[in-house]
Amino acid sequence: MRTSAIVRCAAPEWNTLREILFSRYPELEWATFARFGWRETTDQLVVTLATIDPPSGSDLDDRVGHVAISEPYSLRMALGAEKHSLAVGVIHSHPENCPPVASAIDDDMDSYYSSYLEGFAPDRPYISLIASTVRGDLSLGGRIFWRGEWLPVQHFAVERTPSTTWASQKPVNRQGRTRERTRRLASAFGDEAADRLRRSTVAVIGAGGTGSAAIETLARAGVGKLIIVDPESIGESNLERVHGSCPDHVRDGISKVALAKEHVRAIDDSCVVQGFVGSLPQQEVVDALVTADVALGCTDQQHSRLALSDIAIRYLIPAIDCGVLLEGKDGKVTAQVIQLVRLLAADPCVLCRGMINPTQIAQELMTDDEREQRRRAAMEAESKGQDGNPYWHNLPQLNTVGYLTTMAGALAAGYVIGWLAGRFDPPFERLQMNLVASYFDVTDNEQTPRPQCSCRRIRGWADQGNVDALVTPPRHWPTARLV
Amino acid sequence: MSRERILKELEILREGQQIAELLSAGRDYVLYRGIPAGGAHPSLPTVTDVIVPVPNGYPGAAIDLAGLPVDSAFLPRVKGGRNSQGIVQADGRTWQLASYHPHQNGGGGPWDQMKNGFHTYFDQLLSWLERLD
Repeated sequence: MRTSAIVRCAAPEWNTLREILFSRYPELEWATFARFGWRETTDQLVVTLATIDPPSGSDLDDRVGHVAISEPYSLRMALGAEKHSLAVGVIHSHPENCPPVASAIDDDMDSYYSSYLEGFAPDRPYISLIASTVRGDLSLGGRIFWRGEWLPVQHFAVERTPSTTWASQKPVNRQGRTRERTRRLASAFGDEAADRLRRSTVAVIGAGGTGSAAIETLARAGVGKLIIVDPESIGESNLERVHGSCPDHVRDGISKVALAKEHVRAIDDSCVVQGFVGSLPQQEVVDALVTADVALGCTDQQHSRLALSDIAIRYLIPAIDCGVLLEGKDGKVTAQVIQLVRLLAADPCVLCRGMINPTQIAQELMTDDEREQRRRAAMEAESKGQDGNPYWHNLPQLNTVGYLTTMAGALAAGYVIGWLAGRFDPPFERLQMNLVASYFDVTDNEQTPRPQCSCRRIRGWADQGNVDALVTPPRHWPTARLV
Repeated sequence: MSRERILKELEILREGQQIAELLSAGRDYVLYRGIPAGGAHPSLPTVTDVIVPVPNGYPGAAIDLAGLPVDSAFLPRVKGGRNSQGIVQADGRTWQLASYHPHQNGGGGPWDQMKNGFHTYFDQLLSWLERLD
């Protein structure tokens, strides 16, 4: 039973939207139609702003202070909906210091459009959103008509733009009091920033060396909720890197997710942890991930990286992918590289960035039997002097050490805190730094999307872009388990 | 498996008069029915069915391998046909997967999921069935 909704918006769309909505500010309202993707999770409807269809000419009546939409504009949007698969909605502004709460005129408008659009594009949500500034704060409210019911929007996630969600006629979840434990952070970034962190949800994919460092940093910073995903249990070789791990956990065969949950509870038992023994892009995991404000990719698995990139673009979740690499030659360590890749909805996907090896993905996603069969076939080919690579590539195990993974995880968590607090952004697209090179040999690699890539087309399409999903979960994986 | 994507690719084939179906038989396969084959070889049938496994994680992972009915006259003559990569049951028949890897240095270029799919794999299969030993 879905009882509420989340609305997500990427920065390019928000910038356009802000210009339209506040074009007659501060006294007068304005509006636009927009198209949205959506995804139903077990208890929420997640809606993503895909495209804005701005008004032009006499689409809106500029002689009145409130929003009056012309019939041709409405009809154009309704007929357009017959040709696309996205949901349609109206977004309008309220005058300054007038909360984003539906007025009687708004009630009439929503009642009309929810029924009108149903006639043209049935079985799609109708979205009605309101934006205003209240005492200088960007304030957002709204509701969604879906399956015969109005769902209140309980959370707006606008990329890199702090906002206050209004529901039930008041701001949602305002804490108002800085806790002693985060006082130093609040003195650095402000009480408001600490409050935003308390209201935020961060997903961490991978709870190994890098992920556990990020989790610890985020929990100590006072993030309100963590979604943690990892398919593995703690092994002895993890003890050197995984924060909170000890030999008892190895002996007990505890999952990395359960360990992370236990560790977060010890740090701050008010931090809510939703842990999954599973992987991206399993549906249960995606359901949880689309509710997060930010996601961190902390695995060296190529399929997970590809899935995170896909989700960042289709579901508008700002993400950072972290990786580390240790190289050596002649008994010397020649490279200790940390890589952080920004994955915003408008950034090129990891395919455009050339970060993906399909052969490695194929091997990661095979069954154990398939892997064994492939390895045998490769050995047999090589024993006959033939090329074994079509069957199996021996990919080197990436070397890594705890201080490197801790550094990468903490660094990435720092940028997440900056995003959530609205205080700073990652100043890179794809950062690489080598700890054993002079001046760390820092590089930033800006890349442009490939013209034929679907990532340019499906931004914010959510489930309506499923046909363009970059990777899918194999059938043989066990169902993701909520810890 | 991205069912929507595969069905869209098979629709492209259908528009070109080539019938292909998505089968779920334990794991997923695409069955290409009646592929034109063996034109230059009078002793061989002029058409054959070919089965191709849907790779786990598709389209993240490349399409690989191709299977023929175990009693197919093409099997000993196609590239990789004598190097069995497994026997599968599907569509009420027994198939042998051949060691055919067009996207692994096998002539089909590196896998690019923005260009390649089961519709373009059909072109690889045509060439595979044409270049016989």
